[in-house]
Amino acid sequence: MFNFLKPTGNSGPGLKIIIVGCGKVGTTLIERLSKEGHDITVIDMNEATVKEVSGTYDVMGIVGNGANFSVQNEAGIESADLIIAVTESDELNLLCCTIAKRTGDCAAIARVRTPDYSTDVSYLRDQLGLAMVINPEMEAAAEASRILYVPAALDVNAFAHGQAELIRFELPEGTRLDGVEVYQIRKMLSTDILVCGVERGEDVFIPGGDFVLKGGDIISFVATRKQALRFLTDIGFQTDRVRNCMIVGGGKCAYYLSKMLLGMGIEVKIIEKSKTRCEELSILLPKAIIINGDGTDQELLEEEGITYTESFVPLTGIDEENILLTLYAKKVSNAKVITKINRINFRGVINSLNLGSVIYPRYITSEAIIAYVRAKKNSTNNNIETLYHMFDHRAEAIEFNVTDKCKFTGVPLKNLNLKKDLLICFIHRNGKIIIPNGDDVIMSGDTVMIVTKNEGFECIEDMLV
Amino acid sequence: MNRSMIINLLGRVLQIEGLLMFLPCLVALCYQEHEGFYYLFVAAGTLFVGGMMSMVKPKSHVFYLKEGCIATALSWVLLSVAGCIPFILTGEIPNFEDALFETVSGFTTTGSSILSDVEALSYCSLAWRSFTHWIGGMGVLVFLLAVIPLSGGANFNLMKAESPGPSVGKLVPKVKSTAQLLYVIYFGITVLEFLLLLLGRMSVFDAMTTAFGTAGTGGFGIKNDSIGSYSPYIQWVVTVFMILFGVNFNAYYYILYRKVRKAFQLEEVRGYFLIIGASVAMITYDLFSHAIRLTDALRTAAFQVGSIITTTGFSTADFDTWSSSSKTILVMLMFCGACAGSTGGGIKVSRIILLIKTVLKEFNSFIHPKSIKKIKVDDKAVEHEVVRSTNVYIMTYIFLFSISVLLISLEGHDTTTNFTAVAATLNNIGPGLSMVGPTQNFGFLNAFSKIVLVFDMLAGRLELFPLLILFHPSIWKELFAQRKSERMNSNRYKEKK
Repeated sequence: MFNFLKPTGNSGPGLKIIIVGCGKVGTTLIERLSKEGHDITVIDMNEATVKEVSGTYDVMGIVGNGANFSVQNEAGIESADLIIAVTESDELNLLCCTIAKRTGDCAAIARVRTPDYSTDVSYLRDQLGLAMVINPEMEAAAEASRILYVPAALDVNAFAHGQAELIRFELPEGTRLDGVEVYQIRKMLSTDILVCGVERGEDVFIPGGDFVLKGGDIISFVATRKQALRFLTDIGFQTDRVRNCMIVGGGKCAYYLSKMLLGMGIEVKIIEKSKTRCEELSILLPKAIIINGDGTDQELLEEEGITYTESFVPLTGIDEENILLTLYAKKVSNAKVITKINRINFRGVINSLNLGSVIYPRYITSEAIIAYVRAKKNSTNNNIETLYHMFDHRAEAIEFNVTDKCKFTGVPLKNLNLKKDLLICFIHRNGKIIIPNGDDVIMSGDTVMIVTKNEGFECIEDMLV
Repeated sequence: MNRSMIINLLGRVLQIEGLLMFLPCLVALCYQEHEGFYYLFVAAGTLFVGGMMSMVKPKSHVFYLKEGCIATALSWVLLSVAGCIPFILTGEIPNFEDALFETVSGFTTTGSSILSDVEALSYCSLAWRSFTHWIGGMGVLVFLLAVIPLSGGANFNLMKAESPGPSVGKLVPKVKSTAQLLYVIYFGITVLEFLLLLLGRMSVFDAMTTAFGTAGTGGFGIKNDSIGSYSPYIQWVVTVFMILFGVNFNAYYYILYRKVRKAFQLEEVRGYFLIIGASVAMITYDLFSHAIRLTDALRTAAFQVGSIITTTGFSTADFDTWSSSSKTILVMLMFCGACAGSTGGGIKVSRIILLIKTVLKEFNSFIHPKSIKKIKVDDKAVEHEVVRSTNVYIMTYIFLFSISVLLISLEGHDTTTNFTAVAATLNNIGPGLSMVGPTQNFGFLNAFSKIVLVFDMLAGRLELFPLLILFHPSIWKELFAQRKSERMNSNRYKEKK
């Protein structure tokens, strides 16, 4: 009868967060953070945007320049816990954070995208006292380069500072693993991997030991890179990394990606429309082949060898073009294709197009920030290191730092009463990755990664029932 | 249209009303009145029906302004219907339309009564009558928002629909915290007034009901002569608090957070005090020249001005007998109303300010046809959208007003009565002039006129559009069409299976 007193949403005290700039990343952040129950104030120059955002989400909107002292004051910078500057301009973002740091006692996160600044990121961060500097283009490029290193995978995510990887791939029909129970894999192949998620049709499973795999499943597993490659070879995949890559569009993301690929010894060919940008790129990336032309021109693509390239990454600023290019490349070649998509609506449609690997720069950035915010919210006992959403937000992979305060260090995992749909994927101890079994223990100083379908984890104790 | 969510919300509103109805039960317990049983019965019934309705689980959380307006309008109607049942059951107001008029008048903080002898009512009915003012003053949906968190746009759209003023702003980022803050301020000032009234040797019951009536800027008195028979001290206390409750609550927020200067810089608050000062001065002079002692003249003038501009409607003098210039000032104040974001009604000072500035801008554009000038309030440019909607508001207001006057005039009373009866209800004031003057009541009107006035009171409290939108054909079409398409979709789904 008194069910009107029951909360219908997330409640509890949140952080006071000021977000400057309601662009793509800004809006994603607003949506996610307001759902997690934080007090959010939004600043943007554009009146219409502010109005729309404050009408859709439970946030307060202020129209003005976020780097302006009085505007920040009006947004309550004095009592704010965190300011996130994600406007179009790097300079404005840095200025916002600098001014905010002077006025209030808050943490600051700035988005810095241009290579001019991002090469000195750590210097900037330390000197300006920023909590975080995010660079969506670079993060997206890093993810793309990881996938190109293991082309059999749909997604590759790094954990434990790159020591462990979460790899997602589709199990082909008629494979060795068809009809195999998960606990047998380690015995069968004598490789140290852990299957931590299975997508079958519409459903997502966090598999227990007795889960039976089937051809056509999309499997996510955790392993070190070496073990992962061995595992993939064992079940019959070509695991050689690609030798060359064709990139369409010469923006920032293309620059970062080319730089990483060239560093790994992969040949890069960039097709870019603007002559001046081509010249710039050729100075910045002397080893890359820079083609001046329209990347959406079918003949040019064929001339430059789209049919025999080993990988193809369309990185234009327009999602539709990227998608079309991907579909075309899939049709005419066997290349590994990665699609970058900026928008996040119509995700369902995009998923059904079967594009293979898709990367969403704005998700990558917002996830990093949300992990930081969650960590800050409960800073005494909290220790989330990274947080990653899997399977369209239906599961989360979370990396925890274990401190002395943790109540179950030294207890064998099989004796812990864990929540349902939760799996401990690896323990990172002294630079080594341990794929745990029931007899392993968690110790202080470890990092532990879990995969779970439950939401709202804040500290490692939340694992237990 | 999100019907399940609207029904769910209406259920919750009814539950809150059911809980609040325990207050008159308590009063009945104190005074050993058997009428209390009726209140207990209705409270239980309301809780039950509300509980049943809130069992409807919202299928989706999509909730736009349209849904907010409909939920708000329907919940006020429902609130009033449920609230008038005890009056009928106790037999104190046996007619449905009379009871409804009295309850709507309470919830909308109007304070117009159909009762000729208020003192004949039982204590618990008097308490409920005054308590409805307090509930309606800040709004029951704002209360709902303070208690339960809703998702995303839902809460802000509800708040927009219920809060008075041309543009609704939040004090703090979350709607829930804003609503809580508003209620804390509201409750705090009410308690303060209650204590000050007790200091003036008022009985606890009288102080409580008077405080409720002042806080909601309602105006139901518990004496036949309203506040007239109380001591000058009490009259002054009520005057001051009436005026305080007519101030934009943003000002109190600023004062709470030690930004006093900002509070006094609010253009609307300044304009409000300016209008009060000027009106009091003129009426005092007028009364003084009619051989009334200066102190009495000042007190009476201040009380009446405060009561009318804040749309409270208490009275200490029969201003129907005043000179016509004083009466004209009061009628003008009726339309002016209190500040936006307060508990008062009327057109609101902020709209008047905007209108004056629009007119000045129009002058300017005649002199310099190519000049560009943005209207500014509180040193901030006002969005064109707000100016436009204010103009439309005034036009709609005038239309509704004229049509109502026409409908009332069908009964054949004098023009002053018709005109001020509509003015007093549409602006949520209470007493008008002539036959509906401060010593008279609305009881003599026929049922049709009462229903028209009930509509006016609701429209005035909800600022016209949330109520009027209910009558827009596309809303009905949408409801119907949606039901049809839902059925078709489910059929198709079955076929697929």
